[in-house]
Amino acid sequence: MARDYSATYATKAGSRSASSNSDSNVLGRGIRVRGRLNGASDLRIDGEVEGDVSVGGSLELGEGATINGNVAAKSVVIDGALTGDVQAEGTVTIRANARVSGNMNGAEISLEEGAAFTGRIEADFELPDGLAAGVGPRGVGAEGRRNARGR
Amino acid sequence: MATVIGQDITIEGEITADEAVVVAGTVRGKLSVDGPVTIEAGAVVEADVGASTLSVGGTLTGNVTASERVDLLAGGRLVGDVKAARLTIADGAVFKGNVDMEG
Repeated sequence: MARDYSATYATKAGSRSASSNSDSNVLGRGIRVRGRLNGASDLRIDGEVEGDVSVGGSLELGEGATINGNVAAKSVVIDGALTGDVQAEGTVTIRANARVSGNMNGAEISLEEGAAFTGRIEADFELPDGLAAGVGPRGVGAEGRRNARGR
Repeated sequence: MATVIGQDITIEGEITADEAVVVAGTVRGKLSVDGPVTIEAGAVVEADVGASTLSVGGTLTGNVTASERVDLLAGGRLVGDVKAARLTIADGAVFKGNVDMEG
């Protein structure tokens, strides 16, 4: 029965075929969730969420997405508006259209030009020996901390 | 893009939408949709549901208000009151509750 829908939306979505797969979890543009959201695999959000989001796979916050809450996932791609902290096992990608306010924590954080970001970035990585020697224990590089805009 | 709440997704809270929603996972709380709602086989919904049309192939516990119709499919399970102009209950479905088709 749901197959009827998937067929319709697959054609509608057309060019966005990569993320319009009916098997993937999508919270569309016209949806608004107030509460907690948990998942084991990937999730794409194009709507509005007021509450914490936690998924086991990758989390994509689309261009129209508005999230007010903390986010945890294996990897996170932000193209929309997010107010809250991000906790990722892997990479956090903040795209050019994103407006983010919160602390980012992940193995790798990338911030594209044009993105609006307020908060702290914490990426856990090991510096090569040569570099690490020159930085004090409280050094900026050692904690991989960067500030972009304010705070 | 339509909304698909997949098998492994759990939402606890209030969901409002103005587009089609397909639930294959778990929803607890409230689901208000200005459009069709499909509760797939295997899905568990413990929520009051408002929709234009509702099709239940999974388990739904809660009161239902549909502006057009409610279809309870074979294998579907609905415990709650239904308010809808049209209602079908398929052979093999389970239903417990009151029906109001005049509202």
